[in-house]
Parts: sequence; C-alpha cells; structure tokens
Amino acid sequence: MSPQQGEKFGSWLARQLRRAGMNQAELADELEMTRAAVSAWINDRAEPRPETQRRIAAILGTDSASIYNRTDVAPDLPLQWHHRSAYKDGGREYGNAAAFAFNADLSALAREATQNSLDERYDERKPVRVRYTLEELTGEHLDQFLAALHWDELREHYDEAALLEQKVSRSLKAALRDLDENKSLILLRVDDYNAAGLTGDEYGDGRYTAVVRRQLDSRKESGAKAGGSYGLGKVTLWATSRFNLVLINSTLSESYEGRTERRVVGRVDLPWRKVGNEAYAGPAWFGQADTEPNRQQVSRSWWADEQTVRDLHLDRLSDEPGTSFLIVGAHDASGTAESLKDMHEKLVIALAEGFWAAMVGGNDGGPLLEASVVAMRNGRVVVDEKRVDPHTSHPALSRAFKAYLDRDTVEELTTSTQVARADVTLVVPPRKSDKRKQGGGHHRAVLLVTPAGEDDDPVNQVVYMRGNRMTVMSKRPRELPLGATRFHAVLLAGYATEQTGADVELAEEFLRASEPPEHNDWKHTEELTSVYARGALSRLREFRVEIDKAVRQLVGRRTTVRGEGPAALRELLKLDVFGPAGSRSRRNVPLVEITRGDLDDTGAWNVWVDLKLPESDSTWRLTPIAKFDVRSGGRPVVAWKEIVPRDNCREEDGNLVIEAGVRLASFSGITDPSSHPVHGNLAGLIIDIQKSRGGAL
Amino acid sequence: MRPFLSYPRIPDTVELEIVSVSVDGRDLPYSQISRTEKTVALHQTGRGDWDLATLHLKAVLPDQEIADGPWSDVVCLAVLSENSTNVRSTARLAKGRDGTWQGKIELVRGRHLRRAVLSLAVVGEVNGVPGRAIGKSEAPWYLDLKESTPRRQREIKIVEADFREASEEWLRGFKDSAWVVATVEDPEIPIVYLNTSGVEGLVEVLNGTSGSAAEKVLRDTTTSQIAQDAWIAMFHTAVSNLDQDDDGTPIMPTGWQEPVLKMMLPDVLPGRQLTDALREINECRTSGAGWAELQTNIQFAAGKRSQIAKKLTGAVRTVDREERSEP
Repeated sequence: MSPQQGEKFGSWLARQLRRAGMNQAELADELEMTRAAVSAWINDRAEPRPETQRRIAAILGTDSASIYNRTDVAPDLPLQWHHRSAYKDGGREYGNAAAFAFNADLSALAREATQNSLDERYDERKPVRVRYTLEELTGEHLDQFLAALHWDELREHYDEAALLEQKVSRSLKAALRDLDENKSLILLRVDDYNAAGLTGDEYGDGRYTAVVRRQLDSRKESGAKAGGSYGLGKVTLWATSRFNLVLINSTLSESYEGRTERRVVGRVDLPWRKVGNEAYAGPAWFGQADTEPNRQQVSRSWWADEQTVRDLHLDRLSDEPGTSFLIVGAHDASGTAESLKDMHEKLVIALAEGFWAAMVGGNDGGPLLEASVVAMRNGRVVVDEKRVDPHTSHPALSRAFKAYLDRDTVEELTTSTQVARADVTLVVPPRKSDKRKQGGGHHRAVLLVTPAGEDDDPVNQVVYMRGNRMTVMSKRPRELPLGATRFHAVLLAGYATEQTGADVELAEEFLRASEPPEHNDWKHTEELTSVYARGALSRLREFRVEIDKAVRQLVGRRTTVRGEGPAALRELLKLDVFGPAGSRSRRNVPLVEITRGDLDDTGAWNVWVDLKLPESDSTWRLTPIAKFDVRSGGRPVVAWKEIVPRDNCREEDGNLVIEAGVRLASFSGITDPSSHPVHGNLAGLIIDIQKSRGGAL
Repeated sequence: MRPFLSYPRIPDTVELEIVSVSVDGRDLPYSQISRTEKTVALHQTGRGDWDLATLHLKAVLPDQEIADGPWSDVVCLAVLSENSTNVRSTARLAKGRDGTWQGKIELVRGRHLRRAVLSLAVVGEVNGVPGRAIGKSEAPWYLDLKESTPRRQREIKIVEADFREASEEWLRGFKDSAWVVATVEDPEIPIVYLNTSGVEGLVEVLNGTSGSAAEKVLRDTTTSQIAQDAWIAMFHTAVSNLDQDDDGTPIMPTGWQEPVLKMMLPDVLPGRQLTDALREINECRTSGAGWAELQTNIQFAAGKRSQIAKKLTGAVRTVDREERSEP
C-alpha cells in the first residue's frame, strides 16, 4: 500500500477495469499473464511488480504515478441526468418538506450557506473565504450554459412537473415561462475557500452524501463549534433556485479516488411526475453513469476537466479546498430584490448582519471569515466585488469584539469609545446520563458593552453569540433604568469566548440543545428536557437575569435618590426643555424666514422675507421689526427705509396687512444704514413680527 | 429665528461630543456622561471637593464642504460659559489623523455655579474678513455641577420639611400651610416646600403609590393643586424681571424661566410668536392695562400643566363609583 492512500491496489484496479469496460481475463490476455495472477491482485493477495504496473498503466491509458496515487483513470463517460424512479409503494412527494421550513430569501441563503462554510473551516490559522457571484446570462452565453447542463434532457421533466396542480408546480411554471420569454437566467455561485470541501464516499457517510444525497443529515466534521444542528441549512441552496437546481464543484481537503480537484455533480429536486410511461420520485442527479455493478443507471459525481467546469460556470479561483454551489435560476423568494444590483445589496447586508463578528480580526488572530459579493452579466462585472466590512456595517459591535480579542477592555466605562467587559456565569446542569449527577459545570461567559453613537439604531440590545461567533438572538435587557447610557452589547458564550476547556464545551452543547431549529433563542426545547437534569430551564433563566444585571451595572445609574418629593407631584412639575410643548405651539404662530439678503453699496440690508401664517378668520396686521443680533443683552433695533409688499399682502403705515385665510405672504425691505449701530457687515440680522398696535390679531 | 448674516456659513450642523471627563485627574464614570441628553453630571456622591475637570472633546465637521466652500483658515473652538457667573473660556481643537477634531477644555470649579454650557464655534476667514463665526453646534452640552445623574431636563425641587422647626427661618411663618412655593430662594431652581406638620398625614398620602381609592383621589387632586400654585408662581416670577431690547421688546430669559415661559406662553396668549407674546405680557404688566384680564389666561395655562381637569374627572368618577357600590 502506498504511504498516502488508504486504498488498496486491488480495489483500485477493479474499479478501473469496470470503468474501462474490461474484465480480468481481457487484462490478463493483454499482459500475457494468467487470469489467476490478475485475480490475486484484485483480491489483494499480491501486488504486481513495478514493471507490470507500468504496463497496466499503459493498457488503462494512464501513468504509473496515477497507480501510485490510486488516481482513477478518467474515463470519458458521457454525462447524464439520472432521475429516481417512483416508489414502488405508490408514495408521492410533491416537494421537499425541508425546503418549506425556511423563508427562502437571499438573506436566509447567505446565513445558512455561510454558516455551513464557517463550520467547515479547514486551516484554522486562516479565515474561510466565501464569495457570492451573481451572474445573468443571455443570448449565446445562456445557450452555451444550457447545452453544457444537458438542459434538453431535463426540460421534459420540468414540463411535466409544472403541469401538476401543486405549489411547487406553479412556481416552476412561472420560472419556465420567464426563461422562454426573457431568454435570460440568473446564476448565483456560492464559493468557499479554505473549507473542507465535499469529501467522502459517493454513497457512504461523509460530507458529500450529507449535502448531495441526503436530507436533514446534519454532518458537521468540526463538531462542537458548529452552528447548525438540524441539517436544514443546505436546503436554502435549492430553495433559492427557481428550478430547484444546483450544480456543485468541490476541491477536497482529503482525496477521494486519489483525486481532490473538480469533483462535480448536479442535483435537481422535482415533485413526483410522469414522463412518457415512467413515473419518477423526485430528485435527479447530473453526472457520469456509475460503473459499479449494482448501480449501473445512477449518476455519480465525476472528476471534471477544466473546460467542463468553465462551461458549467463552476470554475474556481484557486486550488484551495472548498466548494462552489451554482444555483441555477437564482431569485429572492421574498420578492424584495429583483435586479442584480438589489440582490447584490441584499447579500452584502445579510452577510454583514449574520457574520460581522466572524469577520472581525484582532491583532493576534485574524478573522474567521472573509466574504465578498460580485455581480456580472455575461462575464462582465456590473457591480464591483464588494468585500463585506464589519467595521462599516457594525462599527460599535465590531469595535467591542476587536477590543475583546486584543484584550483591550476596561472594567468601567469612562469614554464613549471604550469597551467594558464583565464575566457572567452560566451554570450548566448535569446530563441525565451522568450517574451521580456530578456532571455539568460553571462557564464564564463574557459580556461586552460599549456606548452607542447618537444616531445608532437599534441600540440597548444584547447580541447573544456562541460557537464560531454565530448570532443567536438580540434582546433588550429587562429593567434598564431610564436615562441609562445608550449602548451596544455582545454576550459571548461557549466557543465564541475564544477560550478552551471542559466548561466551554459543556456550555456550548447545553446552549445548542436549547435552540429551536431557527437557532434564534435559548429556551425550552425537547432536547433540553430529555438530555439535561431537572432545572435546566431555570439555569437558562438565571443566566439571562445575570446578564441583564451585568448590563445594568455597566451602563446604569444609581436609581433615584430618595427625598426628591412625591413622584406624582414631580411628574407635574417637569421643566420640559425639548418637549413637544415648544413645537406644538409653533404651529399656530406666524413664522418668518429671510430667504435672501444682501448689503448694498450704502451699507443697507436688502432682504426678502417669507411669512408663513396659521389658519385665521381675521385679517393679519403685523409689524416687521429688524434688529441686529447680539450674544447677550438688548438687541439694537434698526429702522426700515422702505418696506415693499410682494405677495399676498399690502402695506399700511409701515404695517403689513394680510387677508384672512392667506397662509404664505412675502415682502422685501431695505434698512436705514444711518440707524445701524455697527456696519451691517459685522452683525447678523433678525426680523421679529409683532402684532401691530391697535390692530386685531 | 436664526440671524441672517452677510456672509455664507457652513450649511451642515457641526457635531460636538464630550468623549470623556477627568475630575482632578480621575476619570469620571461614563454613566455620568450622556450623549443623548448632551449632559455631564459632575457631582459624585461620596467624593469630596474637586477643583478642575478636564473635558476631552471630539467634533465632526463637514470637511469636504468646508474645503469646497469660500472659507479659509478654519479654526474649531470649544466655548465653555455660564451665564450666571459670566464666565467664558475657549480652547482650540486640532484635526486628528482620523479626520475628527479633537482637544480638551478645562472647567475650573471655582468659576462656575451650577450649570456650564459647552458649545462649538467654527471660525474662519470669509471674503477677506478673518475671524468670522461660520458654524456652531446645534444644541450645547450642559455640565451640571450639582447633579450626579446627567439629565438635561430639570425638575423643580421639592423639599419636605416640618415648617415649625425648619432651618429656613422664614418657613416657620407658614407653619399652618400645607405647602408653599418659593421661586426666589434659590436663583437656580424654584422650590416647593411640603409641610410635614401642616396637615397630619397628607405628605404620607402624597408619597404613597398605592392605597385606597379615596387616598388616590386625595393624592391626585392635591398634587394637581400644588402644581397649579407652583406654575402660577413661576410664571409671575419669570415675567417679572425681563431684560429688554432697545425698542422695549423683552428678551427670553435663560435658566428655569425659559422653559416655564416656553411651556406656558402658547396657552396664555395663543397664536403669537413667543417674543411677541412676551412683549404683550410685559406691556400689560408694566402698564397695568389688561394685566388683571391676563390672570384668567395664566390660571388656565397653569391648570393645563397641572392636569387639573383630568385629575378632577378621575376623582369624580371614583367618588361616583364608590357611592354606587354602597349598599
């Protein structure tokens, strides 16, 4: 056995023979050796000598390096769609139930797909990089893509499926009609780099089957830190496709069949349908026909060449491990983002919202994740690649997180940019399986609080995180004292604390058990009561209470000192500086505005003034008075040389007369420079409007 | 209205923030600095006297507009002042590497009484004239020397005392009153004195939060009545000593008088600009003509602030209900 591979020569050779369509006798003949010798190799009783291996390689059309590495000989088998036959019991599925569990808009896709990438981070010293590429195809580009996809083979299945009277059928029908009429298709490719890739056997347990062949299989190799636990997330990929069609190209972190690059497969989820005389169950796979004896018709993933992945728009930027999912006919199911630009923006926002914390790096350790979004049309960039920056989207929270990573937190806040840290204990109850109830433990969760900016919104929320900095929920602490500092806060629990140890693991498991499928709360779940000893719910409740208390301590003020008098009386004696009283009163009084003003050569002010008047039944008789503004004390009045009524008013004895019902009037005026106490250039002019003496208001 | 100037000002508002405060070299807890209220509470319970507070400031100016506009030699100044002590000091902010303007200003305790005001002035050369004020911060910051909670809104002081043996000797003369309102005792804020020995048990009822329906009725109507007394007294005090412009137009006072007038004038003389209403009231008061008639309006405005009608409606309903339920 060669040092790097797990595969024995025998099983490798057997597979190559099947692929090449040869039997053992034929190989023996070619090699001019006995069939028994070949049989001995296949059954791993012996291995051929290097010289013979070279000849075998030549016969199979490969080289000895491939034998050494157990690389499969890439047979040029045709690609095909394999549709699963209907169940013999007559069962029919008109859609994927898992898909209905989500609101399949782009935000959900970004959240779920990126969380999966994050959970599959390969090299722990580097971030996972995810890249979302939107591409619209039309004309020739579209035709080429559809040809590469063997669209013709699929089309009849789509047409039949669309004829059914089912929820899925109606949306398929619309998607097909749009494709026929508009001759355009939007692809969304979700790439991750430095992730594990879809490793594992074609049919046995592994990442590959969890994604490609199975439903609700939550297989997280990174185990404990993972965010998800229901295996639902991947469904959003298919749900985002109007054709329920996703193509996959993966670069594996561990070789399979001796290869790592360009493992390609496609999968479509359709409802039960009849095409010709055959009934089909649901899913279909795009790949090469399997050569295994008992799976002759099944399509399996194949090791594609570079041209094919390019034709399928699945080419990857580098040979780093990771996976590319191509969503064919991508759309935002919520209907809020239709254009490429809107979809681009929605993805950027969703990525920032869901993963700002994972994208924050400290001085010592970089971020866990980098994300970017780009939009193209027929190979041309239409919206530039935008790197999602947590410090722009969530400045205060990102600052808080960075301060924590850099150990730059304080115990008590004294400036608006500081980040205060407090530790909050989570008591993890023992599991029921722990015999003497001695399990469980105390976990020190970390609370970070930083003052909010004046215009920040929302504020006064605690963002709860665990795992690889996954946001579980945002909640406002209870009993915040009135007038407390507006703040942003993050609670880090479990692995999100960046600590290690038994308590971290316990807390992580405990909290994950308390999350519903949406992973958006810590509360009562079935798992919680079935796995943990009595009192688990109380521990969670106490944890929340402790957190709220810690927040109050960091931002709160001493409660009202006693002896300030009866509350009922205080309430009636408030001096309202900004209150509504001021603005309310303003609505019912005339408003003055100088719209234009110049100093002329004589030093006189020439001003144009608008008057906005409230409703009135009587004629307005108003006196405009010009004054120079001063910082304190009495303001000097300057005389008018001339007042000229402009709109909706007339002048009488230096007063303005405005008829009842008029809401807007204007006049112009020239001041008398000889009455100016200083040159007009050196002071600001204000105009008071007074009810003229003797007139009716 | 905003004064109209002969030269262009920066159109956008300028933001000033107090980032942190150190009092005699020790940092003030950030909970005593409120950005929303734009207020700093400098008083720390349990801490002795202090002499000097250093305010660390940060300002954001519309730098691009300034660069594109007709202004040059732009200087950003923090201005700290207090009307009652007539103190005014300034400090220059310097533009930091991150584009914000930063600096500090010192507040010497001995030069201030109660509430210092901090604002930002942007000064520059316009059309060949240097040193023009071209921008300022919208709402100033308040630095409260007497408060330990940063609250912009002030409350009238309420003091509970036994008038018979009150330390304020003048109160003893009112030993039979249930309460008195004093608007000039403390120039900073009016005080309502509640007499703990005037009406047996009344202050306890006022301070209660629960109790019988009758107790609630008593509490509601009494607090309303006290409040009405206070608002009337405050209004009269506020209009009784007004500074005037050249032409006799009174100037809106500062301090507690300003909110009192702003809150009450629209009800005393509806439909008038504040300055115009103030002018009319000042005329009535000084000439005596119409002053008596105005009392009705002042009563009305004070009643509205004290929620007299609402509280009495509630009281009547309660009494009505009580009577019905009797056998």
